[in-house]
Amino acid sequence: MATISFDLVSPENLVFNDEVGTIIVPGKDGDLGILPGHSKVMSSLRPGRVMVYSEDKNLIKSFFVSGGFAEINPEKCIVLAESVVEVNSLEKTSIEKEIQELENKDGKEIEEQLSVAKAKLEAINVNYYDKI
Amino acid sequence: MPSLKDIKTQINSVGSTKKITSAMKMVAASKLRRSQEKAEAARPYSSRLEEMLSSLASSAASGEGIIKLLTGTGNDQNYIVVPVSADRGLCGGFNSSINRETFKLVKSLEGNGKKVQLMPVGKKSRDFFNRVMKDQTIESFVDLNVSSTGYESALNISNKLQELYFDGKFDKCILVFNKFKSAISQEVTQQQLIPLDVSNSEKEEEKENSSNAIYDYEPDEETILKDLLPKNVSIQIFKVLLESDAGEQGARMAAMDNATRNAGEMIDSLTLKYNRTRQAFITKELIEIISGAESI
Repeated sequence: MATISFDLVSPENLVFNDEVGTIIVPGKDGDLGILPGHSKVMSSLRPGRVMVYSEDKNLIKSFFVSGGFAEINPEKCIVLAESVVEVNSLEKTSIEKEIQELENKDGKEIEEQLSVAKAKLEAINVNYYDKI
Repeated sequence: MPSLKDIKTQINSVGSTKKITSAMKMVAASKLRRSQEKAEAARPYSSRLEEMLSSLASSAASGEGIIKLLTGTGNDQNYIVVPVSADRGLCGGFNSSINRETFKLVKSLEGNGKKVQLMPVGKKSRDFFNRVMKDQTIESFVDLNVSSTGYESALNISNKLQELYFDGKFDKCILVFNKFKSAISQEVTQQQLIPLDVSNSEKEEEKENSSNAIYDYEPDEETILKDLLPKNVSIQIFKVLLESDAGEQGARMAAMDNATRNAGEMIDSLTLKYNRTRQAFITKELIEIISGAESI
Protein backbone atom coordinates (compact mmCIF):
# COMPACT_ATOMS: atom_id res chain seq x y z
CA MET A 1 0.00 0.00 0.00
CA ALA A 2 1.16 3.48 -0.80
CA THR A 3 1.99 6.19 1.67
CA ILE A 4 1.41 9.91 1.71
CA SER A 5 3.84 12.46 3.04
CA PHE A 6 2.42 14.48 5.91
CA ASP A 7 3.70 17.78 7.36
CA LEU A 8 2.18 19.36 10.43
CA VAL A 9 3.54 22.89 10.76
CA SER A 10 3.01 25.44 13.51
CA PRO A 11 4.39 28.99 13.39
CA GLU A 12 7.11 28.00 15.83
CA ASN A 13 8.28 24.72 14.36
CA LEU A 14 7.72 21.70 12.19
CA VAL A 15 5.77 19.38 14.50
CA PHE A 16 5.46 16.28 12.40
CA ASN A 17 6.99 15.17 9.13
CA ASP A 18 6.82 11.60 7.91
CA GLU A 19 5.32 9.18 5.42
CA VAL A 20 1.99 7.94 6.75
CA GLY A 21 -0.95 5.83 5.64
CA THR A 22 -3.99 7.92 6.51
CA ILE A 23 -4.69 11.31 8.06
CA ILE A 24 -7.95 12.68 9.38
CA VAL A 25 -8.21 16.47 9.59
CA PRO A 26 -11.07 18.57 10.99
CA GLY A 27 -12.21 20.53 7.93
CA LYS A 28 -14.44 23.53 8.39
CA ASP A 29 -17.39 21.73 6.81
CA GLY A 30 -16.63 18.32 8.26
CA ASP A 31 -13.80 15.89 8.84
CA LEU A 32 -11.64 14.91 5.91
CA GLY A 33 -10.03 11.49 5.66
CA ILE A 34 -6.94 11.68 3.51
CA LEU A 35 -5.43 8.65 1.82
CA PRO A 36 -2.55 8.52 -0.66
CA GLY A 37 -3.71 9.76 -4.04
CA HIS A 38 -6.29 12.19 -2.64
CA SER A 39 -7.45 14.82 -5.08
CA LYS A 40 -6.14 18.36 -4.71
CA VAL A 41 -7.98 20.21 -1.97
CA MET A 42 -7.31 23.31 0.05
CA SER A 43 -9.40 23.59 3.18
CA SER A 44 -9.56 25.71 6.28
CA LEU A 45 -9.82 23.88 9.58
CA ARG A 46 -11.94 24.18 12.69
CA PRO A 47 -10.52 23.47 16.16
CA GLY A 48 -10.28 19.71 16.54
CA ARG A 49 -8.20 16.59 16.26
CA VAL A 50 -5.69 15.79 13.54
CA MET A 51 -5.23 12.02 13.56
CA VAL A 52 -2.30 10.29 11.95
CA TYR A 53 -2.38 6.57 11.06
CA SER A 54 0.25 4.19 9.81
CA GLU A 55 -0.14 2.17 6.62
CA ASP A 56 -1.87 -0.67 8.46
CA LYS A 57 -4.37 1.74 10.01
CA ASN A 58 -2.86 1.94 13.48
CA LEU A 59 -3.14 5.30 15.17
CA ILE A 60 0.34 6.81 15.42
CA LYS A 61 -0.44 10.17 16.92
CA SER A 62 -3.29 12.52 17.49
CA PHE A 63 -2.86 16.26 17.75
CA PHE A 64 -5.16 19.02 18.77
CA VAL A 65 -5.12 22.07 16.48
CA SER A 66 -6.87 25.34 17.17
CA GLY A 67 -7.63 25.97 13.53
CA GLY A 68 -5.58 26.51 10.43
CA PHE A 69 -5.35 25.24 6.88
CA ALA A 70 -4.74 22.03 5.04
CA GLU A 71 -3.29 21.72 1.60
CA ILE A 72 -3.72 18.30 0.06
CA ASN A 73 -2.41 16.82 -3.15
CA PRO A 74 -1.99 13.19 -4.22
CA GLU A 75 1.53 12.84 -2.76
CA LYS A 76 1.52 15.27 0.12
CA CYS A 77 -0.64 16.73 2.86
CA ILE A 78 0.38 19.88 4.67
CA VAL A 79 -1.44 21.18 7.72
CA LEU A 80 -0.69 24.71 8.89
CA ALA A 81 -2.00 25.13 12.42
CA GLU A 82 -1.79 28.05 14.77
CA SER A 83 -1.26 26.04 17.89
CA VAL A 84 -0.55 22.36 18.05
CA VAL A 85 -0.57 20.11 21.12
CA GLU A 86 -0.63 16.37 21.40
CA VAL A 87 -3.98 15.22 22.66
CA ASN A 88 -2.27 13.01 25.26
CA SER A 89 -0.62 15.99 26.87
CA LEU A 90 -3.85 17.92 27.38
CA GLU A 91 -5.07 18.01 30.96
CA LYS A 92 -8.74 17.72 31.56
CA THR A 93 -8.87 19.58 34.86
CA SER A 94 -6.94 22.62 33.68
CA ILE A 95 -9.11 22.93 30.57
CA GLU A 96 -12.28 22.68 32.59
CA LYS A 97 -10.97 25.44 34.82
CA GLU A 98 -10.13 27.54 31.76
CA ILE A 99 -13.65 27.10 30.40
CA GLN A 100 -15.18 28.14 33.71
CA GLU A 101 -13.04 31.26 33.81
CA LEU A 102 -13.85 32.15 30.23
CA GLU A 103 -17.56 31.65 30.71
CA ASN A 104 -17.62 34.47 33.23
CA LYS A 105 -16.21 36.92 30.71
CA ASP A 106 -17.63 38.59 27.65
CA GLY A 107 -16.33 39.66 24.29
CA LYS A 108 -15.66 38.38 20.82
CA GLU A 109 -12.15 37.16 21.53
CA ILE A 110 -13.30 35.35 24.65
CA GLU A 111 -15.94 33.57 22.63
CA GLU A 112 -13.28 32.32 20.25
CA GLN A 113 -11.09 31.14 23.10
CA LEU A 114 -14.05 29.44 24.66
CA SER A 115 -14.89 27.51 21.52
CA VAL A 116 -11.26 26.40 21.25
CA ALA A 117 -11.24 25.31 24.88
CA LYS A 118 -14.48 23.40 24.45
CA ALA A 119 -13.10 21.70 21.37
CA LYS A 120 -10.06 20.72 23.44
CA LEU A 121 -12.25 19.12 26.05
CA GLU A 122 -14.14 17.27 23.37
CA ALA A 123 -10.88 16.09 21.84
CA ILE A 124 -9.96 14.41 25.13
CA ASN A 125 -13.33 12.89 25.77
CA VAL A 126 -14.21 11.42 22.41
CA ASN A 127 -12.64 8.26 21.09
CA TYR A 128 -14.14 7.78 17.66
CA TYR A 129 -11.54 7.49 14.92
CA ASP A 130 -9.27 5.75 17.41
CA LYS A 131 -9.71 2.64 15.31
CA ILE A 132 -10.44 2.88 11.63
CA MET B 1 53.44 62.12 34.24
CA PRO B 2 50.97 59.63 35.73
CA SER B 3 52.20 57.70 38.70
CA LEU B 4 52.71 53.95 38.58
CA LYS B 5 49.68 53.44 40.77
CA ASP B 6 47.42 55.40 38.38
CA ILE B 7 48.45 53.25 35.44
CA LYS B 8 47.96 50.07 37.45
CA THR B 9 44.39 51.11 38.37
CA GLN B 10 43.63 51.89 34.75
CA ILE B 11 44.92 48.51 33.60
CA ASN B 12 42.76 46.78 36.17
CA SER B 13 39.62 48.64 35.19
CA VAL B 14 40.12 48.01 31.48
CA GLY B 15 40.76 44.38 32.39
CA SER B 16 37.45 44.03 34.16
CA THR B 17 35.63 45.74 31.28
CA LYS B 18 37.23 43.23 28.97
CA LYS B 19 35.95 40.39 31.11
CA ILE B 20 32.42 41.76 30.90
CA THR B 21 32.47 42.31 27.16
CA SER B 22 33.91 38.90 26.45
CA ALA B 23 31.25 37.30 28.66
CA MET B 24 28.55 39.27 26.82
CA LYS B 25 29.99 38.07 23.55
CA MET B 26 29.71 34.45 24.63
CA VAL B 27 26.15 34.94 25.81
CA ALA B 28 25.22 36.66 22.56
CA ALA B 29 26.81 33.88 20.55
CA SER B 30 24.80 31.19 22.27
CA LYS B 31 21.61 33.25 22.07
CA LEU B 32 22.31 33.85 18.41
CA ARG B 33 22.38 30.14 17.75
CA ARG B 34 19.06 29.70 19.49
CA SER B 35 17.47 32.65 17.68
CA GLN B 36 18.70 31.36 14.37
CA GLU B 37 17.20 27.96 15.06
CA LYS B 38 13.88 29.59 15.91
CA ALA B 39 13.95 31.67 12.76
CA GLU B 40 14.67 28.59 10.72
CA ALA B 41 11.92 26.60 12.43
CA ALA B 42 9.40 29.28 11.53
CA ARG B 43 10.36 29.30 7.91
CA PRO B 44 8.34 26.30 6.65
CA TYR B 45 5.11 27.77 7.99
CA SER B 46 5.54 31.20 6.49
CA SER B 47 6.71 29.93 3.14
CA ARG B 48 3.74 27.51 2.91
CA LEU B 49 1.39 30.30 3.88
CA GLU B 50 2.83 32.54 1.21
CA GLU B 51 2.46 29.83 -1.40
CA MET B 52 -1.18 29.33 -0.48
CA LEU B 53 -1.80 33.01 -0.49
CA SER B 54 -0.22 33.66 -3.84
CA SER B 55 -2.33 30.95 -5.42
CA LEU B 56 -5.43 32.48 -3.88
CA ALA B 57 -4.59 36.15 -4.35
CA SER B 58 -5.52 36.12 -8.01
CA SER B 59 -9.08 35.11 -7.14
CA ALA B 60 -9.67 38.11 -4.88
CA ALA B 61 -11.73 40.82 -6.46
CA SER B 62 -11.71 44.21 -4.81
CA GLY B 63 -14.01 43.79 -1.88
CA GLU B 64 -15.08 44.87 1.55
CA GLY B 65 -14.09 43.56 4.96
CA ILE B 66 -11.06 41.42 5.44
CA ILE B 67 -10.20 41.32 1.75
CA LYS B 68 -9.10 44.92 2.22
CA LEU B 69 -5.89 43.57 3.76
CA LEU B 70 -5.01 42.46 0.26
CA THR B 71 -6.55 45.09 -1.95
CA GLY B 72 -5.98 48.16 0.19
CA THR B 73 -8.41 50.90 1.14
CA GLY B 74 -8.04 52.69 -2.15
CA ASN B 75 -6.44 55.62 -0.36
CA ASP B 76 -2.83 56.52 0.06
CA GLN B 77 -2.96 59.22 2.69
CA ASN B 78 -2.42 57.82 6.18
CA TYR B 79 0.63 55.76 6.96
CA ILE B 80 1.65 53.81 10.00
CA VAL B 81 5.30 52.99 10.40
CA VAL B 82 6.47 50.22 12.71
CA PRO B 83 10.18 50.36 13.55
CA VAL B 84 11.40 47.12 15.12
CA SER B 85 14.38 47.62 17.41
CA ALA B 86 15.88 45.76 20.35
CA ASP B 87 15.03 46.27 24.02
CA ARG B 88 18.66 46.64 25.00
CA GLY B 89 21.64 48.54 23.79
CA LEU B 90 25.31 47.57 23.55
CA CYS B 91 24.84 46.08 20.12
CA GLY B 92 26.65 48.51 17.86
CA GLY B 93 24.65 50.42 15.31
CA PHE B 94 21.73 48.00 15.44
CA ASN B 95 19.18 50.29 17.09
CA SER B 96 20.40 53.62 15.85
CA SER B 97 20.31 52.52 12.21
CA ILE B 98 16.66 51.50 12.64
CA ASN B 99 15.81 54.82 14.24
CA ARG B 100 17.68 56.80 11.63
CA GLU B 101 16.08 54.93 8.73
CA THR B 102 12.60 55.30 10.22
CA PHE B 103 13.14 58.97 10.86
CA LYS B 104 14.20 59.47 7.24
CA LEU B 105 11.21 57.50 5.98
CA VAL B 106 8.76 59.48 8.09
CA LYS B 107 10.24 62.77 6.94
CA SER B 108 10.11 61.80 3.28
CA LEU B 109 6.50 60.60 3.59
CA GLU B 110 5.57 63.82 5.31
CA GLY B 111 7.36 65.71 2.58
CA ASN B 112 4.94 64.11 0.13
CA GLY B 113 2.00 65.36 2.17
CA LYS B 114 1.12 62.07 3.89
CA LYS B 115 0.09 61.71 7.49
CA VAL B 116 2.33 59.38 9.41
CA GLN B 117 1.85 57.62 12.72
CA LEU B 118 4.35 55.50 14.56
CA MET B 119 4.06 52.27 16.47
CA PRO B 120 7.53 51.39 17.74
CA VAL B 121 8.43 47.88 18.82
CA GLY B 122 11.30 47.57 21.30
CA LYS B 123 12.45 49.90 24.06
CA LYS B 124 15.19 51.57 22.07
CA SER B 125 12.95 52.86 19.31
CA ARG B 126 10.12 53.65 21.72
CA ASP B 127 12.43 55.88 23.75
CA PHE B 128 13.80 57.53 20.65
CA PHE B 129 10.45 58.32 19.06
CA ASN B 130 8.89 59.35 22.35
CA ARG B 131 11.59 61.98 22.41
CA VAL B 132 11.52 63.26 18.84
CA MET B 133 7.99 62.54 17.58
CA LYS B 134 5.92 62.13 20.68
CA ASP B 135 2.55 63.22 19.29
CA GLN B 136 2.79 60.79 16.39
CA THR B 137 3.58 57.74 18.48
CA ILE B 138 0.28 56.01 19.12
CA GLU B 139 1.26 52.76 20.74
CA SER B 140 4.38 50.83 21.55
CA PHE B 141 5.33 47.25 22.28
CA VAL B 142 8.26 46.53 24.56
CA ASP B 143 9.71 43.55 26.43
CA LEU B 144 8.54 41.11 23.80
CA ASN B 145 11.18 38.43 24.33
CA VAL B 146 10.12 36.81 21.12
CA SER B 147 12.45 33.88 21.54
CA SER B 148 10.68 32.77 24.70
CA THR B 149 7.08 33.94 24.26
CA GLY B 150 6.95 33.01 20.60
CA TYR B 151 3.97 33.55 18.39
CA GLU B 152 1.79 35.23 21.05
CA SER B 153 3.77 38.47 20.94
CA ALA B 154 3.41 38.73 17.19
CA LEU B 155 -0.30 38.08 17.53
CA ASN B 156 -0.71 41.04 19.88
CA ILE B 157 0.90 43.45 17.45
CA SER B 158 -1.01 42.04 14.54
CA ASN B 159 -4.36 42.29 16.33
CA LYS B 160 -3.71 45.89 17.26
CA LEU B 161 -2.74 46.79 13.71
CA GLN B 162 -5.76 45.11 12.19
CA GLU B 163 -8.08 46.77 14.67
CA LEU B 164 -6.71 50.17 13.67
CA TYR B 165 -6.83 49.28 10.00
CA PHE B 166 -10.48 48.28 10.00
CA ASP B 167 -11.33 51.40 11.98
CA GLY B 168 -9.95 53.27 8.99
CA LYS B 169 -7.10 54.79 11.00
CA PHE B 170 -4.50 54.16 8.31
CA ASP B 171 -4.16 53.01 4.70
CA LYS B 172 -0.69 51.59 4.59
CA CYS B 173 1.57 49.97 7.12
CA ILE B 174 5.33 49.77 6.69
CA LEU B 175 7.71 47.77 8.86
CA VAL B 176 11.29 48.89 9.31
CA PHE B 177 13.53 46.17 10.68
CA ASN B 178 16.98 44.65 10.57
CA LYS B 179 17.08 41.75 8.18
CA PHE B 180 19.38 39.00 9.31
CA LYS B 181 21.96 38.46 6.59
CA SER B 182 24.71 36.69 8.46
CA ALA B 183 25.97 36.56 12.02
CA ILE B 184 27.92 39.75 11.52
CA SER B 185 25.82 41.74 9.09
CA GLN B 186 22.28 43.02 9.21
CA GLU B 187 20.48 45.05 6.62
CA VAL B 188 17.86 47.67 7.43
CA THR B 189 14.82 46.70 5.41
CA GLN B 190 11.44 48.26 4.77
CA GLN B 191 8.51 45.99 4.16
CA GLN B 192 4.99 46.96 3.33
CA LEU B 193 2.73 44.86 5.51
CA ILE B 194 -0.73 46.21 4.77
CA PRO B 195 -2.01 46.06 2.10
CA LEU B 196 -0.15 42.92 1.24
CA ASP B 197 2.57 43.41 -1.31
CA VAL B 198 1.85 40.65 -3.78
CA SER B 199 4.57 41.67 -6.17
CA ASN B 200 7.31 39.84 -4.30
CA SER B 201 5.41 36.59 -4.36
CA GLU B 202 4.53 36.90 -8.02
CA LYS B 203 7.42 34.80 -9.15
CA GLU B 204 6.24 31.93 -7.06
CA GLU B 205 2.80 32.41 -8.45
CA GLU B 206 3.97 31.93 -11.99
CA LYS B 207 5.80 28.82 -11.02
CA GLU B 208 2.89 27.39 -9.08
CA ASN B 209 0.11 28.57 -11.30
CA SER B 210 -0.06 25.52 -13.51
CA SER B 211 -0.44 23.11 -10.61
CA ASN B 212 -2.57 25.27 -8.34
CA ALA B 213 -5.20 25.98 -10.90
CA ILE B 214 -6.97 22.72 -10.24
CA TYR B 215 -7.31 22.84 -6.47
CA ASP B 216 -10.67 22.25 -4.88
CA TYR B 217 -11.45 24.73 -2.15
CA GLU B 218 -13.31 23.94 1.00
CA PRO B 219 -15.53 25.79 1.99
CA ASP B 220 -14.65 28.20 -0.87
CA GLU B 221 -11.84 30.46 -1.99
CA GLU B 222 -13.17 33.57 -0.39
CA THR B 223 -13.69 32.03 3.04
CA ILE B 224 -10.21 30.57 3.03
CA LEU B 225 -8.77 33.88 1.94
CA LYS B 226 -10.58 35.62 4.77
CA ASP B 227 -9.01 33.25 7.26
CA LEU B 228 -5.65 33.36 5.60
CA LEU B 229 -5.09 37.10 5.33
CA PRO B 230 -5.15 38.01 9.03
CA LYS B 231 -2.94 35.01 9.78
CA ASN B 232 -0.54 36.14 7.14
CA VAL B 233 -0.20 39.54 8.80
CA SER B 234 0.61 37.88 12.12
CA ILE B 235 3.06 35.47 10.62
CA GLN B 236 4.85 38.21 8.71
CA ILE B 237 5.26 40.13 11.95
CA PHE B 238 6.43 36.99 13.70
CA LYS B 239 9.01 36.42 11.00
CA VAL B 240 10.24 39.99 11.26
CA LEU B 241 10.49 39.75 15.06
CA LEU B 242 12.53 36.58 14.84
CA GLU B 243 14.83 38.03 12.19
CA SER B 244 15.31 41.12 14.24
CA ASP B 245 16.03 39.06 17.35
CA ALA B 246 18.64 37.00 15.55
CA GLY B 247 20.09 40.19 14.08
CA GLU B 248 20.29 41.79 17.51
CA GLN B 249 22.26 38.90 18.93
CA GLY B 250 24.54 38.92 15.90
CA ALA B 251 25.11 42.64 16.19
CA ARG B 252 25.80 42.37 19.90
CA MET B 253 28.24 39.55 19.34
CA ALA B 254 30.15 41.58 16.74
CA ALA B 255 30.11 44.72 18.90
CA MET B 256 31.33 42.86 21.96
CA ASP B 257 33.99 41.08 19.98
CA ASN B 258 35.29 44.47 18.86
CA ALA B 259 35.14 45.84 22.38
CA THR B 260 37.05 42.85 23.74
CA ARG B 261 39.72 43.28 21.12
CA ASN B 262 40.00 46.99 21.79
CA ALA B 263 40.29 46.38 25.51
CA GLY B 264 43.07 43.87 24.84
CA GLU B 265 44.98 46.41 22.75
CA MET B 266 44.49 49.04 25.40
CA ILE B 267 45.83 46.75 28.11
CA ASP B 268 48.87 45.99 25.97
CA SER B 269 49.69 49.64 25.42
CA LEU B 270 49.04 50.50 29.08
CA THR B 271 51.31 47.67 30.23
CA LEU B 272 54.04 48.99 27.97
CA LYS B 273 53.60 52.45 29.43
CA TYR B 274 53.66 51.01 32.94
CA ASN B 275 56.92 49.18 32.32
CA ARG B 276 58.54 52.21 30.69
CA THR B 277 57.54 54.43 33.59
CA ARG B 278 58.82 51.91 36.12
CA GLN B 279 62.12 51.67 34.25
CA ALA B 280 62.37 55.45 34.10
CA PHE B 281 61.93 55.66 37.87
CA ILE B 282 64.64 53.05 38.46
CA THR B 283 67.04 54.83 36.10
CA LYS B 284 66.35 58.12 37.77
CA GLU B 285 67.04 56.66 41.21
CA LEU B 286 70.25 55.00 40.00
CA ILE B 287 71.49 58.29 38.54
CA GLU B 288 70.78 60.01 41.84
CA ILE B 289 72.68 57.36 43.80
CA ILE B 290 75.64 57.34 41.40
CA SER B 291 75.94 61.11 41.21
CA GLY B 292 75.62 61.26 45.00
CA ALA B 293 78.47 58.72 45.36
CA GLU B 294 80.70 60.58 42.87
CA SER B 295 80.34 63.87 44.65
CA ILE B 296 81.79 62.51 47.89
